[in-house]
Amino acid sequence: MADTLETQLPRGRGGRVWQSIFRSGLGDTNLRRALAIQQNLFLHLASVKVRKRSLSFRVTWFLGTLSLGTFAILVVTGVPLMLYYHPSVPQAYSDMNDLRFVVSAGLFLRNLHRWSAHSMVLLVFAHMFKVFYRGAYRPPREFNWVIGVVLLLLTLFLSYTGYLLPWDQLAFWAITVGSNLISAMPIVGARIRFLILGGNGVNANALLRFYVLHCVILPLAAVAFVAIHFWRIRKDGGLYHGGSERHE
Amino acid sequence: MKISGKMASFFNFLLGDSARAFGALSVALVALLAVVPAADFLRDWRGYQKRYLRLVRGRSDATSLTRRFQPGLQQIWMPELGVVDRCPTCHSALREASLGDVKDQPFRPHPPIPHSVTGFGCVMCHRGQGAATTVEEAHRSTKSWEDPILPARYLESSCGQCHMERLTGTPLLNQGRQTLARYGCVRCHVIKSPDGVAMTGTDDPPSLAHIGAKTTREWIAAWLKNPQAYASSATMPNFQLPDDDIRDLSAFLIAQSTPYLASREAAPKVPTDDRALKNGASLFGESFCSSCHAIQNAAGMLVGGNLGPELTRIGSKAKPEWLADWLRDPRVYDPDTQMPHYRLDAQQRGLLMAFLGNKTDPDFLGNRHFDPPTSVQIDHGRALVNERGCAACHEINGVKKADNFAPELTLVGSRPLAKILFAPGVAHTLPDYIAAKIRQPRSFSTSLKMPQYTLAPEQVEALVTALLAQTERAQKMPTALRIPPRRASDYHAAGQAGRLMEDLRCFSCHTINGRGGDMAPDLTWEGTAVTRPWLVNFLKNPNTLRPALIRRMPKFNLTDAEADTLADYIMTVYQTPAFDRDSIDSSRFTRADAEHGKELFYGKYACQSCHIVDPDKDKGYIGPTLTQTGARLNAAWVFHWLKNAESLRPGTLEPVWKSSDEDARALSAFLVAQKIAPQTEPAKK
Repeated sequence: MADTLETQLPRGRGGRVWQSIFRSGLGDTNLRRALAIQQNLFLHLASVKVRKRSLSFRVTWFLGTLSLGTFAILVVTGVPLMLYYHPSVPQAYSDMNDLRFVVSAGLFLRNLHRWSAHSMVLLVFAHMFKVFYRGAYRPPREFNWVIGVVLLLLTLFLSYTGYLLPWDQLAFWAITVGSNLISAMPIVGARIRFLILGGNGVNANALLRFYVLHCVILPLAAVAFVAIHFWRIRKDGGLYHGGSERHE
Repeated sequence: MKISGKMASFFNFLLGDSARAFGALSVALVALLAVVPAADFLRDWRGYQKRYLRLVRGRSDATSLTRRFQPGLQQIWMPELGVVDRCPTCHSALREASLGDVKDQPFRPHPPIPHSVTGFGCVMCHRGQGAATTVEEAHRSTKSWEDPILPARYLESSCGQCHMERLTGTPLLNQGRQTLARYGCVRCHVIKSPDGVAMTGTDDPPSLAHIGAKTTREWIAAWLKNPQAYASSATMPNFQLPDDDIRDLSAFLIAQSTPYLASREAAPKVPTDDRALKNGASLFGESFCSSCHAIQNAAGMLVGGNLGPELTRIGSKAKPEWLADWLRDPRVYDPDTQMPHYRLDAQQRGLLMAFLGNKTDPDFLGNRHFDPPTSVQIDHGRALVNERGCAACHEINGVKKADNFAPELTLVGSRPLAKILFAPGVAHTLPDYIAAKIRQPRSFSTSLKMPQYTLAPEQVEALVTALLAQTERAQKMPTALRIPPRRASDYHAAGQAGRLMEDLRCFSCHTINGRGGDMAPDLTWEGTAVTRPWLVNFLKNPNTLRPALIRRMPKFNLTDAEADTLADYIMTVYQTPAFDRDSIDSSRFTRADAEHGKELFYGKYACQSCHIVDPDKDKGYIGPTLTQTGARLNAAWVFHWLKNAESLRPGTLEPVWKSSDEDARALSAFLVAQKIAPQTEPAKK
């Protein structure tokens, strides 16, 4: 038995199984280390080389990473929440009550989702301010700044659509006010409102629409834009670390 | 920089390198994995279930109680009613009658009710948030739930969500609904029963179209100032009008009044001597006017019924010529009145007028005197009539009844607290709000139109109960669960007898075929019950049947022909299809039957607790006196009455004996042997 394990299983990195998955083998040379990053679907979004200084807290306050972290928490808690939730009237509110009163750790799941969502909005804003005031939006990173703005909007839409799902008074009136703001736009306002709500009022259609947006369309869009965002960091010369890059 | 430096070193300490980061996150995860299930395990309800098991342990039936106990979350789920009630999770002993001595909640067993305790869930009757599993959320009003537990004294309101008929178990609800109709609430407020039918008033407000012929402007003004000062039992509320408004309203009401078709007959001579007053009083008593009309006695107590208006101060109100016409035939003035057409001769009318005209109260009218009204005052009076909604109740010439004069109250029992403006000092609950609004409407705002009612505290409680039954849940209840009220039929008797019955207003007191009042017995099967000679005699000269009652059949002074017509009709038409009137021949009863019946009467059935057969010995005052049963009732009726009275006259006080044929036969034999000739003079009380 021990003999088979010896031959079949990798002994740490560089074993046969390891190699079949990661292709590049041990990162014993700079080339191989670079390949380990570049040839991995997930890691290839990141830069092959990073300045040690730009990884310190001082440079980024980890705001981008923390935003990604809250997004991950939201996905992980959101999926189990979907198991307990029907986007229908008035079942939605009862489902929320059930999460609160009878589902094991349901309240914890819901609160974690809720507070992560709030933190994510906060972190994304902080991230934008940090990038703006440090001037990290300047060429060659101007396109990634635009992607970042798109991601901010997606975050806000996710937050807004999620707000309706508990189907309580707060949700109902928040969305009523919000959608009325939209209809204040000249010419197209009323049409856009109709499109978003699936009708002229906040009702079952709006709930279903917001549910699909919140759980499918917006998260997928966010994942796609996050991927582009990361990939562009690498392509635009890595993390901005201050100072004069051109001369380094 | 300093703070960011500190934060930087903190983050470096936690996440500085991959080993630290892994370690810190692992510690956080372990902590979470410990805290979350622990919090889940330490929920309130688990504690209550443990306490219940401890409580049960020391009891004699501990084994069976423990076996029946179900651990974990318990719920009553009825999707068609929208019920998800988790109350039994903590209230573990709802169905354990043996825990009757336990007084601590949540372990008190549910008191016995006509429904299965858990058959409709808990929230249906008690309100509260059934889905919740914490004490606070389940019972009280919170931000996420506005419908707290209903205080126990209003609990009958919940029965009213399905039951629209009168239930014996819900006196407060019945009284409340009756009060809504009786005090004219439903004339301004639309209140729809769950079956969509709006409640109607039973207060019969008088038409004011000919008010000038009936009374004076001074009386109208004094009445408007305070109706209860005229008659403490008056149902008209006090509109708290300023004196100028009263002056203008009375001016308008007199101005709009048209003459009615007054009789051209000269008014009877009204004697004024003391003997006439005394004779008038005894005629008032003999005619049993007090069955419907109350008069305050010397001690200030109201004596008499409430079907008609109180007459304590009638002499200050009615003009003599109007009163003369009214006593001759009330329908000339008011075609829809409930008052019967008494056949009084001129002398009798004179006596009654003397008696009634003497019922004055100079303090009530005071020294009011009005100058002839100006057209400005009359116009202002008309505007006031419209503004105050007088036409919602009264017919007034040239003023149309306003629709939706006051807010609809069909869903008032579900009104969200967030939409209520509470007056200072009112507790923030729905029952307290409704009660405060009924007690003193103007305390919410002096500009409100709702008048001030004079209601006893239990009347307010009854009204609140009836209004709390007007819930959204009641409107959405499955039709199969709704129990509709008995709606009045529009039955009319036919022919000459029918006209006579309308003239005598039999239906004001008696119910026949679903139409009529509940003051006197249902006469639907009367022809089967009584013998013709007795009936003719009774119609001409009603004597006392039930000694305990003040309200009795009035003496209408019918002619022989009229009494015969009515008796013929009743004997022919009002026959039950259940059995034949002549199916038992009383002449075939033997003395032994009657003797056996007597034993049963005083022994097994103890009938003497409610009835009198031997006036010297028996003390029963609840039911009719039976001394003349043989002359009054048919043997077959007595026999079937003893078997099942309820099937013959629903709602009767007589218990359903379900006695055997032998017992019923023996008792019938004993009772029909009671044949004291009916008294010819009305019994003195």
